Amino acid sequence: MVWTEKYRPKTLPEVIGNEEAKVELVKWLINWEKGREKTIGVLLVGPPGIGKTTAIYALANDFSYHVVELNASEYRTSEKIMERVGSITRSYTLESYFGEKKRERIIVFFDEIDGIDPKEDKGGLDTVINIANKREFPVIAAANVPDRQKHKKLFENFKIIEFRQLTPRQIIIILKRIISRENLNIPDEILKNIAQRSRGDARLAINMLQAASVGIPIESISQPLENLPLDELLRRFSSATSIYEIKQLVDSNSNLWEDVIYIYYDIISRNPVIKLDDKMALLEDLSKIDIYLYRMNKERKYFYLRYLSHLLSWFIYKANRAGAVYDGRIPEYRLYMFILNRDAREEFKKLSEEVKRRLHESVRKFVLYTLPYYCLTSSMKDLKKLEKWCEKNYGLAR
Amino acid sequence: MQYMKIRYGEPFSIPRRLGTELFKEVVRIRGIDYVKGKGFIVSDYYALSSLNKILVKLGLILKPEVKCFLCGKNIDCDKCEFSQVCRKNVSTCLCDVCISKFSLVSDYISRQKSLLSNVKPSIR
Repeated sequence: MVWTEKYRPKTLPEVIGNEEAKVELVKWLINWEKGREKTIGVLLVGPPGIGKTTAIYALANDFSYHVVELNASEYRTSEKIMERVGSITRSYTLESYFGEKKRERIIVFFDEIDGIDPKEDKGGLDTVINIANKREFPVIAAANVPDRQKHKKLFENFKIIEFRQLTPRQIIIILKRIISRENLNIPDEILKNIAQRSRGDARLAINMLQAASVGIPIESISQPLENLPLDELLRRFSSATSIYEIKQLVDSNSNLWEDVIYIYYDIISRNPVIKLDDKMALLEDLSKIDIYLYRMNKERKYFYLRYLSHLLSWFIYKANRAGAVYDGRIPEYRLYMFILNRDAREEFKKLSEEVKRRLHESVRKFVLYTLPYYCLTSSMKDLKKLEKWCEKNYGLAR
Repeated sequence: MQYMKIRYGEPFSIPRRLGTELFKEVVRIRGIDYVKGKGFIVSDYYALSSLNKILVKLGLILKPEVKCFLCGKNIDCDKCEFSQVCRKNVSTCLCDVCISKFSLVSDYISRQKSLLSNVKPSIR
């Protein structure tokens, strides 16, 4: 049996870390039971492997609830969610009628709720909110990286409780608990090594310990892949504490490499802190990566991937050390597309469509190659200027 | 230079007048929020170091307050052996003395029990 299941804590005090978040969770459930809670559900937010799911099961156990778990990877649409929740409530009513029921109360738990797309998944998120709104049973959801815009309704109606990554010392407590139960003799150096490599992920740390207990090197246990939104990925790059962490993020998000290259170009070129020599060296590296990526896509030589993964990881590591840190600012030409009002955006869209037609290039290429150049030569405040610029340079007649 | 202690995730006021430009610069830092009527909220160590780069010009340095969950002693994260790999975004961790105790696990669990039983007495 895997130790992550065998040693999953049964009660809340056994769950290590996030002490304040757990108190919040208990308070919410007490208030919900008394009908004093304004929010209709709870959303636990935090990276994987820090005890969100464990905390819910432990909470249910402490309060004598039964957990009905729905994972967004299986139950995404309104129809499927209703089918599952409906069948559970019906079966509980029948069991209760025939006197077979031991635990009457249930908590409905939606795991990885950020996997439900409000638009594409046919009202899945609305159904979750409707179920919670009825207040028949407590509804708790968990998410790794929820999008505040996309899951706006969830953020408005649910209480948000943030679960934070565990510190290496908290990981050591978890490991020591298992070591004493299993009667193992693991040197402190290995424990420290696991605590360092697991990067706050308790699940990974326990898997490493189980591997170490049978003589498998802990280096062979890799972290699960994480697909992140661009903004979150850049934030994680900047706060990464080791090259391993960056490499892991780079490998898990190869679909975003092109965007990462453009954004790092922007971060480095406008950063006033980086020395000129460093800036030149970093841009030189970045241009090489860009060339390799272009060649790989154009010539379909996907064996370049293995080199690119290393090159990009080291580049980001070096950029971080030089002070090129993502401050949450989207490059100006991209920002331009997102924040303007609808009319201006529509106008911009029309213009880029025209450019696309005339130049035989995609809107994406226009935004990536042409527009940044324009940004260097003029301010972005006036859309008319852009129009004139395009007209002058590309002979656009409107 | 004035030093001020803050806790991650909890609002605080900056005892300096920032002015519009500096205020804008501060709230643009990833991991720093401003809640009207309450103050600034710093979510992690990395956001704090970016904020300190700005505040040092005004003669102010913010220091995170991290306490040992077991004994309540203040912890200096910079002296920790895991400083390079830790995200340092917590308000409680474990001090050098408590982490090396033989009864670490049971102490930790009983401390949590007492904390949670304040909210729900049946958790023991």
